[in-house]
Amino acid sequence: MVEYGVSVLKKLLFIFLLLTSLLFGSDLKTEQRIYNLIIHTLLPNKEDIKVWGDSLHNKELLNTIPNVRFASSPQDADFLLVSKKPLQDPQGIIFVTDFNLLQKMKKSAVGGFFWQKGRPNILFLRKNLQKKSIQLPESMQDYIEDEI
Amino acid sequence: MRYLKKIYIVIFISILFAISYLFVQTAKIQTLLNQNVEKILINEAKSFAQNINLLLKKNLLEDPYQQLQEDQNLRTHLENTLSVLRSNTYKYIFVLYRDKQGVYRFLLDGSKDKASFNQRLNVDKKLWNRVYATQKPLIVNQKKLDGLWITYLVPFVVNGKTQAVIAIDFSKELPENIYNAIAPLNNIILYIFIAIGCLIIILVYQTFLSIKNKKESITDPLTQVYNRNYMRELLKNINIGNYQIMMCDIDYFKYINDNYGHKAGDAVLAQTAKILSDEIRQNDILIRYGGEEFLIFIKRKANENDTLACNIAQRIRKKIETTHFQYEDKIIKLTLSIGLTCNPEHFKSISDAIKHADEMLYIAKREGRNKVVSTKDTQIQTVQFQNKKSINEVKAAMEESRIICYFQAIYSLQSNEIVKYEALVRLQEEDGTITPPIAFLDTIMYTNIYNDLTKVVLESVFSHIKKHKVSISTNLNFSDILDNSIFDLIIHEIEAHEELAPWLIIELLEYEIFAETTAIIQERIQKIRSYGVHIALDDFGSGYANYAIFKILPIDILKIDGSLIKDLDTSKTSRTIVDSIVLLAKEMNIKTVAEFVHSKEVYDEVKKLGVDEAQGFYLAKPLPKINTED
Repeated sequence: MVEYGVSVLKKLLFIFLLLTSLLFGSDLKTEQRIYNLIIHTLLPNKEDIKVWGDSLHNKELLNTIPNVRFASSPQDADFLLVSKKPLQDPQGIIFVTDFNLLQKMKKSAVGGFFWQKGRPNILFLRKNLQKKSIQLPESMQDYIEDEI
Repeated sequence: MRYLKKIYIVIFISILFAISYLFVQTAKIQTLLNQNVEKILINEAKSFAQNINLLLKKNLLEDPYQQLQEDQNLRTHLENTLSVLRSNTYKYIFVLYRDKQGVYRFLLDGSKDKASFNQRLNVDKKLWNRVYATQKPLIVNQKKLDGLWITYLVPFVVNGKTQAVIAIDFSKELPENIYNAIAPLNNIILYIFIAIGCLIIILVYQTFLSIKNKKESITDPLTQVYNRNYMRELLKNINIGNYQIMMCDIDYFKYINDNYGHKAGDAVLAQTAKILSDEIRQNDILIRYGGEEFLIFIKRKANENDTLACNIAQRIRKKIETTHFQYEDKIIKLTLSIGLTCNPEHFKSISDAIKHADEMLYIAKREGRNKVVSTKDTQIQTVQFQNKKSINEVKAAMEESRIICYFQAIYSLQSNEIVKYEALVRLQEEDGTITPPIAFLDTIMYTNIYNDLTKVVLESVFSHIKKHKVSISTNLNFSDILDNSIFDLIIHEIEAHEELAPWLIIELLEYEIFAETTAIIQERIQKIRSYGVHIALDDFGSGYANYAIFKILPIDILKIDGSLIKDLDTSKTSRTIVDSIVLLAKEMNIKTVAEFVHSKEVYDEVKKLGVDEAQGFYLAKPLPKINTED
C-alpha cells in the first residue's frame, strides 16, 4: 500500500514539474522567438551567424537562438543586440532594445524591439536597411519607418 | 446492510455535489466581482474619456497633428492634464492618430514612460480602425498582452471626422487582486476535492482488499471453488425451488491418498473440481462440501423438467470416468458417485434437501459406486420391493383427499367390549386399493407434506371422536413433538377441539430420548396432557424400550410390542417378558394393551397374563369407519 502510494506521488510530482516547466518556459521564450525571427529575417542567407550582446540579459536572449554563435568581439559580430550606444560603431547589423536609443543611433541601427504601453513594438529604419542592403519580406514591410 | 450502502452512496454524492456547487459558486463570485468592477471602472473611464474629449475639443482645431507639432506648450499642458487621470488602475492614457499609411502614432501621452510625439505604436489595427470608422467607443479585453486587462477606445471627432483615438489602458492589477483574494477559498475547495479524491482512492483500494479477502474466505484454496463458508451465506438467501441439489463424492479417494500420497490426492481433487466446474453452467453453484465431497446447486427454470440435474450428473460421472488424472508420471483413474435431490421444494428445509441428496449418495455408494441416484430412482426401486410411494404421489393423494384413517378396535379383556380405537393412516389409490403407511411415510418424513398429513389425521380423529364419543389413539413420533411446526399444529388442533381432547390418546413411537431434548419433551408432553389427552407408549418391549422413560414422562398406557405378543402361546421368553411388563405397569398404575392378537391362543394368553386391553386381527381388523353398534 505504502509503495503504491509513493509510486503515485512520484508520478504526480513528475506531471507537476513537467507542466510548470512548460508554462514558465513559454513566457521566457516569447522574446527569444521574436529575436530568432528578426535575426534570421535580417540575415536570411547566412549560415554561420555570429552574434553579440552588450548586456547579460541580451546575451541570455541570444544564447538560446538556434544556429547562431557568439562573436569574440563586437567587430566580429554579424548581429549586435545593444541596450546602450557603443563607443565605436561596429560593422554588423545593430538592433536596439529601446526607442530612445534607436533615436540616438538612427544612423547606424537597423531597428529595434521594445515594449511600448504594454505592447511589443518592432521598428526597422529604411535608410539603414538600404545601407546594409537588407530586403525585408512582405510581412515585415509594415514595420519599416522612414524617419523617427 | 444493502440500504446502508445506498445511504452511504447518497451521502457521498451529496457531499461531492455540495463541494462542486461551492466550487462553481466561488468561480461565479469571482466572475461577478470582476464584471462589477469592470462595469464601475468602464463607467469611470467613460467619464474620463468624455472629459478628455471635451478638453481636446476645447484646445484642438481641425488638424490636431499640425497644431500639436507646432505647439509644444499645448502638448505639454494636455499631456499633464491626461497624466492627472493616471492611476494604478488606469495604467496608460494616450491619444493616437492614424497617418496616411494607416500607422498609428502618438499625439499625446499621459503615461509615465512617455512616448515621443509622432512615435509609432503597433496596435491591433483592426479594432482601432473600427473605432475610427464607426466613431463609437470600443471596449477591448486584452487577453494577449501582459499587464493589461482592458483598453477603452474613444474616437476624437471634430466636425464629423475622426481625428484621433483616445485610449485608456486598465491595469491587470485589480482583477489579479480580486483573484488573489478569492484564491485561498478556491484552494481550500480544491484541497477538499483532492482529499476526497484520495479518500476515494483509499476507499476503492479498501473495497478491493475487502472483496479479495471475502473471496478468499469463501473460496477453497486447493480447488478454487466455493467452500462451506460460502454455502452458509448462500443458504440464507437462496430460493431452493430454483435449484436441484447434487452431492458428489470421489469413489475410493482414500485409496488414492494411501497409494499415491496426499499431494496426489490434492492434485486429483483440484482436477476433479476443474472438471465439475467446466461441466456445469455459469448459473450453477459448485461448493467443496467436505474432503472429497462436492455439492452442486443446479439452477432450474420453472419450466425445466426434473431430469435436468440427472442429465448433468450423468455427464459429469461419465467425464470423470473417462478422464485420465495425471500426477507427476502417474495416471490415476477415478469414478464419482452422485446423489440428487430433484425436488428440494418438497423438503421442509434446505438442510433436509441436502441431507436427502447425501442419502441418495449413500445409496449410490452402497449399490456399487460410479452411479447417479436420484429421488426418483430410489422410489422406483423401493416401489418394486416395498410398494413405496413418491413424494408427488403422496402430495397428489393429499390434494385429492385420498389420505384417510382406518380404525382398529381395542377390546377390554375384562368386559370383552370395545373400549377405544386406534387410528391408522392409509393412502387410498385412485383405483380404490389401500396402501399402508410403510409405503409412504418415510418418503415424506422430512417434507411439509408430513405436516399436512399430521393435520389430516388429527382432524379425522377428532371428527370421529365427536361423532362416536369414543376414545381414539393416534401415532406420533418423538421427533414430531420436537418439531416446532408439528407441535404447534398438534396444539392448535387440540385447542380447536378442546372438549374432545380427553378422548384422544397419543401413542408415541421411537421413544429414544436424548439428554439435550429431555426438557423440551417433558414440557411439551405436559402441555398436551394438560388438555386431558392420554399418552401411550407404543411398541413397548422391543426396539428402543427403555425403562428410564417412566422417570421422564407421565405415561397412561403401555402398548406391548406385537413381536412379543404374536408368539406368546409358543415362546416362554415372550411370556416372561410380557408378564414382567404387566407387573411393572400395574405397579405404576399404567394400563397395558396387547398388540397383534391374531389367534384365540394368543388372546387367551394375554388375558391370563392380566393385560388390560387387546387389539389384533383376531379381535377386529382395521376398518375405514367406526361401527359403534359392534
